[in-house]
This record gives sequence, C-alpha cells and structure tokens, in this order.
Amino acid sequence: MNPVVKMEQITKNYRSVPAVKNVDFDIAEGEIHALLGENGAGKSTLTKVMAGVVSPTSGKLTYLGKEVQFASPNQALHAGIAMVFQETSLVPSMTVAQNLYLGSENFLNRLRGTYISAQQFLQSLNFAVDPTAMVETLGAAKRQMVEIARAVHHKAKVIIFDEPTATLTPEEKRHFFALLRRLKADGVSIVFISHALEEALQISDRITILRDGEKVASGPTSEFDRETIIAAMVGRTLSGEIYRHRDETQLRKPGRKVLSVQDISMGAMVRNTAFSVFEGQITGVFGLIGSGRTETFKIVAGIDKRDFLRGGTITLDDKPVRYYTPAEAVRDGIVYVTEDRKSEGIFETMSIGENLFGGLLAADKEDGFVIRTSDIRALAEEWGKRLNIKTINAEAQVVELSGGNQQKVVIGKGLVQKPRIVIFDEPTRGVDVAAIAEIHQIINELADAGLAVVMVSSYLPEILNLSDRILVCRQGRIVEELSPAEATEEKIMYAAVH
Amino acid sequence: MESNWLSRLKDLNQERIVLVVAVLIFATASVALPGFFSAPNLISIVRSISVLGILALGMSVVVIGRGIDLSMVAIMAMSVAWYLQLLGDGMADHTALLLVFAGVLAIGLLNGFLVAYADVPAIFVTLASGSFVFGYVRSQLISSDAVPVPEGHWIAMLGGLRFASIPIEVFLFAILSGAMFLFLRYTKWGRYVYYAGDNPIAARNVGMPVRPMLVLRYVVSALTAFTAGLLTAASLHSINTRVVNSTLLYDIVLVTVIGGIGLSGGKGGVRNVLVGAALIGIMLNAMTIVDIPLLYQNLIKSTILLLAIIMDGLLNPRDEQTAQQGDI
Repeated sequence: MNPVVKMEQITKNYRSVPAVKNVDFDIAEGEIHALLGENGAGKSTLTKVMAGVVSPTSGKLTYLGKEVQFASPNQALHAGIAMVFQETSLVPSMTVAQNLYLGSENFLNRLRGTYISAQQFLQSLNFAVDPTAMVETLGAAKRQMVEIARAVHHKAKVIIFDEPTATLTPEEKRHFFALLRRLKADGVSIVFISHALEEALQISDRITILRDGEKVASGPTSEFDRETIIAAMVGRTLSGEIYRHRDETQLRKPGRKVLSVQDISMGAMVRNTAFSVFEGQITGVFGLIGSGRTETFKIVAGIDKRDFLRGGTITLDDKPVRYYTPAEAVRDGIVYVTEDRKSEGIFETMSIGENLFGGLLAADKEDGFVIRTSDIRALAEEWGKRLNIKTINAEAQVVELSGGNQQKVVIGKGLVQKPRIVIFDEPTRGVDVAAIAEIHQIINELADAGLAVVMVSSYLPEILNLSDRILVCRQGRIVEELSPAEATEEKIMYAAVH
Repeated sequence: MESNWLSRLKDLNQERIVLVVAVLIFATASVALPGFFSAPNLISIVRSISVLGILALGMSVVVIGRGIDLSMVAIMAMSVAWYLQLLGDGMADHTALLLVFAGVLAIGLLNGFLVAYADVPAIFVTLASGSFVFGYVRSQLISSDAVPVPEGHWIAMLGGLRFASIPIEVFLFAILSGAMFLFLRYTKWGRYVYYAGDNPIAARNVGMPVRPMLVLRYVVSALTAFTAGLLTAASLHSINTRVVNSTLLYDIVLVTVIGGIGLSGGKGGVRNVLVGAALIGIMLNAMTIVDIPLLYQNLIKSTILLLAIIMDGLLNPRDEQTAQQGDI
C-alpha cells in the first residue's frame, strides 16, 4: 500500500542543536501509527514538521505522492493533515460550536444553525460536550474532546494526536479508542504520540520509537512488547555519556536532613507528595512531562504557591516555612535553576556580568544601596573562569551565547547567591555534549562541597550517573525511591509510566 | 551567525542614528535659517524641551521597566491646578502643598498597585486613572479651565529666575537628568528596573522584589509629572488644564521612544532621553522658524513616532524560532 505521508531524512535544528536527525517516517492509509520516545526524543518536532507548524532544516516530505512544503499549519490542515495539540489551541472565549467551525464558517452564519449541527456532530462522536458552552469553562478532558472533534470535522486524511489520553478518564478513553477505530475504518491515518505504552500496544498497527532525535526502532506492533519498547526508548550509547555502574560504597552518604516535604498539594498537578532532601548528596528526581516534577520543586522554591487549605507542610531545618515569593526562598538559601532558561532564566539583552550581578543583588549579598560597575566586570571574570563560560567579548549579550553557555550563566546566577539547597530542573536540556559534561561536573562539585542538590531530569543517563538517590515522580507525586546501585533505566521507566 | 549580524546592527543603534539626524538638522538649520543659530534662539530651544524632557525622564523609568504611564499629563496639569486653586481659596501654602503631594503620591501608588498586584495592563490602568484625575479635579476641585498663580507666590518668582540668562527650568532638567542617571546606573533599585524590564519572570525567580519596584516606578513618574507641572505654571504664571487633551502625552512618548528606549523594556537610559529631546527640540524649533503650520508639524511628529516604533520592532524582534527553543 502506498503511504499517505512519507518523510525522508528529516532533520530539524533549533539554533544548530538538532531536535530530529535524518528520520524516515511514513504512514499508510487507515493505519494507526504510534510514535514513542522519552521527553525530548523529537516526537513533537517530527509531527510538527508533518503538520506544517515548523519547517524542517532538511529532508523531504511527500503527501499523497507529491512532494510538499507546508508554510503554515493552516495550509497543512486544508491539505488534510490535522494536529491535535497537547496544549490545546482553542479560543477560550468562544463557544464549543464556534471553535469547531473556526476558520471554516460560512460567510453568513447563524449561531442557532451552528449549534444544531455541532450538537449532531458531537453526538455522532459520542462526546458529551455542550456546544453552547464557553471553552474556558470546560475542563481539560472536554477541551481535548473539542480539539479531537475539530480535527475530525475538518475531514482530515491524517490526524496527529499528541498525548491525547493524558487528561481523559478511563470511560472517556474507551470512547476515544472506539472513535480511533471508527476513523481508521473510514480510511483516516492516525499518528499517535503517547507515554502510555499499554495504550500504544493496544490500539496501534505500527510502532516507531525515537531516541535523542533519531529513529531507533520501527515495525508492526505485534513485534513489540512492553519490555522491548522500554529497552529501545532508553538504551543509548551517546558519545561521552558512558554509563558507569556504582555500588553502595561509591554513593555519597546522606548528610543532615535540610528539607522535608509532607503531603503538599497544588491543584491537580501536585497531589500529596512527600519526600526529604539531605545535605552533601544529589537527589535525582525522574518524571515524564506532566508528572508534576517541575511544579513540586517550584513550590519548594517559592515560585508556585501550594494550596492554601490542605496544602501540606514544608519544613526547612525543622522549621515550617511557607513562601509567597521566590525572594523569601532565596534568602533562606534555596535556589531554583529553571528548565526554561529562555523565558524564565536569563536576561537576554544583558551581558554575562549583569546576569550574574542580578543574582547577587537579589540575594542581598551585595552590601549597600550603591553599585560599583567594576563589581559587575569582576563578577563576570571570576565566574566566567569558574564555570568556563565561553564568549567572544565580555559585553556580549547573553542571547548570543550558545545554549550550553547560557545554561552556565543561569547556573552561575544562582550560585552567586551562595545557596544551601540548589534545585536543578533539566540542567542539560538543549545543551551541547561538551557542556553537558561540564555542567555535570559543576553539579557533582556542589554536592561534594556539602550542599543539598536536587536534580530534576527526564534524561535517564543523567539521573543514573549523578544521583545518590533517585526519586520517581508520577501523576503529581513521588511514587518510588531507588538507589542508583540497584536501579536500571528500565526499572525507573517502569515506575514513571502508567 | 545571524545573531552576530543582529548585534552589529544594534551597535548602529537608534540612539546613534537619532543623534546623527539631530546634528544634521541642527547644522542645516544653522546655515539655512536666519536667526536659528543665535543665543536667544538656542536658549529657547533648550527651554522648550526642558519640561518635555523632565516628563520623558519619568516616562522612561516606567518604559524601561516594560510599562507605560498615560496618566502623566493629567497628573501634571491637575495636581498643579488643584494646588493653585487651594492657594487661591486661601489655604496656607505648606498645607496645600502637602495635600496635593499626598494626592499625587496616592495616584502613583494606585497605578502601581493595579499594574503590579491586580495584573491589569498598564496601558488601561493609566488611561483610566488619567481620565479619572482629570474628571474629578476639573469637576469637583477647581472652578475654571485655567488657574492663575497668585501674585508674588514663589512659583511666579521661580518663573523669572535666570542664571547667566538661562532660565531655571533648564538647570532643573539638567539636575533631574543627573539624578535619574545616578539612580538608574548606580543604585540597586535602579538596576532592578532593567532586570524587571528585560525578563520579569526571571527577575522574580532570582528573588528580586519585582512588584514593589513596579509600584515605585509609577510613583516616580507621578512625582516627575508634578514637578513638570510646577515648572509649567512657573513659566506661564498659570496652568491650563486643557493641556490634558493636547498632544503633549504623545510628545512624551515620542521623546522617550525615539531616543532608543525600547517599548519592550530593559533598554536605554537618560542618555536616550537627552538625545530624543534634542532631536524633537531642534526639529520643532526649525519647523516653527520655517513657519510650517501646526497641523503639519503634528503630521511630521506622528510619522517620526511611527518610524521609531517600527525601527524598535525591527531591532528588537520577538523571534519565534528562539521562543520555541526548549520545545522539542
């Protein structure tokens, strides 16, 4: 059978860091093709190329036998490729029906007519959603249904679902799978991205697995089982990242317990999670996207606020604390190094020195109200050497640096505050291989110096190589604690997927 | 590669371009226009931009912090009008001054509080508070559009004050510029303005008091407006509240933006205000000497403002590709 979509040697670079590398991918008519991989493996990027959301750096995209280049998602949609996003792309202030017909309204449209046809359409899909409801009043699951309904309504030949079931209840999931089978019977091709391996095994005809932007396995679903999928997802031989097994004696012993978290909750993202952090060791936290790992530690760092009622307790040095701003946490010596340096880490129009100086100012470690500009240069020089930040000149704006050097600036900005607890969130995301090794060394040195280090990561080799204990986060809580001496990538992944 | 190219373009930044343009106009006007390059005319240029420049100093602090204050002209005119009205009604000078000062402070605090803590966009907050100040003071507190300065009051004396035949407001503009320069560059709170303007989320995460500092900026701009109002009254011996409905507000934004203080925040300083004020001052003066009608002057000013904003957008783009960087 001829493939509907055929992608050949697709490569996509973000700022010269490849997100997908030379990937071949195709999908046949009436096929459900599951696309699996860890966070950051390149699944979303690959499908975004297919749906015209991003354009590939190189490679060929063939659709219905013709080579195509989509300039926008709208073009792809009109050609018949629809993508249902993880973060929904609905207009919150419009009704369900208006969203369904968005972009395809008649020139003169009557709301009543729209509602009636939307009602019939939603019923035919077995979705219990009121077409006159405002999208902003709907929960996550219902929004997802509207997204799906919209893609189906566009009579798309190819529908890409990015984590469609994450927010659905078991009952809704059953309806959703029934719908997928019906679409399939109608000849629609479906790309299905998921972390839930059972679902992929249950519904798909074919499975492709990506790892670090490359295709590592592909074949009919009958050839796979849970074990082989996990092995393909995690087993890697990335240069410079040689996995060394450590036994108990090589792990750092826990020092004093500095931070203890009891039953903290925040909405649906963090649910009654509990754990402790000790001085002089690295606590690795593994979790997939949506597991609440980032939110949990943003609460600890005072960036997010836990529920006011039944929000649980956080004790620092046996003293209960509740932070309303990050400034309070910083004063208590807690520093959070963000996973998203672009939007919440760096001051991009400023120099390295000014970025570092910002940390110093905020921590109140700089005495007095008056600033000496020579301090800024000295700071850039001192920390530039310590963290090996490479730059053409001292006045260069941070936005011009490579990802690795930017990340070092963000880390430096935290370290100048002389913290006692450092929380790294995805410390090596979007960072080149050489800088990864350097950042790992920085993290190790901090723990050796007696600081309490937390490292949140979805990158398994990083977790296994650096952590002295491993916490696994799933559905808003820490579900398992493992020792790196006995943990394997498979064991951790088992605990993290559901 | 691309970012290097961009940075080189930024070296050839708006500030320098505007400075060159200002010098060019100045040179051309000096040669071509009789009476332009003469001591009285030069003094009148500096004088004409002093009040505008002071207002732009206040605006710049807000804009660098990624905000905007549209209530400045209303605060400037109405606070002084109320003050003069109170004096005219026979209130003691210091009581009246204190009362008006408290009022100005309250409006600044209100603006800042609504922007910082209620998360209302600055443009709406200050538009509304400006209208409120104008409406309330005009309808409840003063009895006519223009309020005169009482005979022999210190404001009237201030207006006549000269050093080396240069009017006092020029010196005040210079002093305030210097003070603002020191504040922005050499104090902790001044630096916070830039961090919050560049990336407010990062500033908060690193532990800076982002919200209290935001309130401070609107208080500063309100107090600057009050100062500018006093100087206006000093040179004109009265304050005309109709100025609220004039193009003055846009002139302030023009001076602020044209010198290279990006509306996206985090960039620029006092130097940019001075350059912007110089260009506008020289240009308006030259246009007046050539006798270009006021309507055309407005047309020219608005074109320049539009060009400056477009240039700002080109030099400081919001790049979609880099915004998606972490999203693989």
